[in-house]
Amino acid sequence: MDPADLEDIVDRQLKSLPFPRAPHTLLPRVLAAVDQWARRPWYSRAWFTWPFGWQVASLLVLALLVAGGAVLMPGAIAAAGGAASRLAPGAISEVADIASRVDAAINAGRVVWRALIEPLALYAFVLVALMGVACAAFGTALNRVAFDRT
Amino acid sequence: MTDADRFEAFVRRYQDMVFATAVRLLGSPAEAEDVAQTVFLRAFQRFDTIGESPAAAGWLKTVTTNACLNHLSRYRARWRLFSELERTAPGNADADFGATLVSKSSPALEFQQADERHQLEQALAQLPDHQRVPLVLFHFEEISYQEIAQALGVSLGKVKTDIHRGREALKKHLLTSHGSR
Repeated sequence: MDPADLEDIVDRQLKSLPFPRAPHTLLPRVLAAVDQWARRPWYSRAWFTWPFGWQVASLLVLALLVAGGAVLMPGAIAAAGGAASRLAPGAISEVADIASRVDAAINAGRVVWRALIEPLALYAFVLVALMGVACAAFGTALNRVAFDRT
Repeated sequence: MTDADRFEAFVRRYQDMVFATAVRLLGSPAEAEDVAQTVFLRAFQRFDTIGESPAAAGWLKTVTTNACLNHLSRYRARWRLFSELERTAPGNADADFGATLVSKSSPALEFQQADERHQLEQALAQLPDHQRVPLVLFHFEEISYQEIAQALGVSLGKVKTDIHRGREALKKHLLTSHGSR
C-alpha cells in the first residue's frame, strides 16, 4: 500500500475516535491540589509568586549583599594577609620556598615537553583524530546496516 | 464570581481537552490524570494572565504536550533506546486494506463500529512510546514531522520511520478487526 494512502486511512480512522472525556475525579483532584498549594506560606513558593513588596525587598537585600561584598572584599583580603603574617611569621617564608620549588618543577616539565613530546604531539593528535573519525564512520554504518536507523 | 469559582469554571471548560491530549500521548488514563493535575496547577499559578486569555487553550495544549514528553523521558524508557529491532513482516493484504475500511452504513453495524473504535483506541494506547508519541503529535495535534523531530530531539528520519511503523501496526489491527466481521 502506498504510504500516502496509509496515512490518509489511519488519519481518518484516528480522527473518527471519540474525544476522550476527563474522569470525574480530575476536577476534585485539581481543586484539592490548588487549595493545598494556596495554603503554603508565600516564602516556600516560587519567587515570582511572592507578594510584590517581598519581591522588591529580596532584590534590595541581594543588591546590598553584592555591593557590600564588592566594597568590603579588598579590605578583608588585606586584613587576612596582615593577620596571617602576624600570627605565623615563618609561614610566609615557607610559602615562598614551596613556590620556588613548584616553579623549578614547571621549568623542568617545560624542558621535557620541548625536547621529547612536542615534536611527536602533532603526529599523535592526527592519529587520534583519524581513529575517532574511523570509529564514527563504523558506528554510522552499523546503525544504518544493522539497526536501520537514520 | 470569586476567583475560586472562575478557576473551577476554567478547569471544567478545558479538562476534557487537557486530558485527551495527555491520555493520547501517554496511553495511560492514570498517568494522564496526574499530568492534567500538574498542568492545571501551573495554570492556577498564572491564572491572572491566562484566565481570560483567548490563548488559554493553546497555552494549555503546549504545556500538556511538554509535560507529557517530560513525563515520558523521566519515568519511562526513552524511545531513543532500542528503537525496535523487529521488522514488520510485509503483509499480503495490502491490496484490499482500503476496501475493508469502507463501511456500509447500516444500523446493525453501529454497535460493532463502536466496539472497533474502542479496540483502535486500545491498539493506539498499546503502541510503544516511540511510535505512539510522534503518531499522536502528527495526527491529533497536527504538528509537522520537522517540529516533532525537534520536540523529541531525534532525527527527522527516525520520526518518519516511527510514524510509519506505528501506522503499519494500527493497519494490522484494523485489518484484523474488519476482517473478523
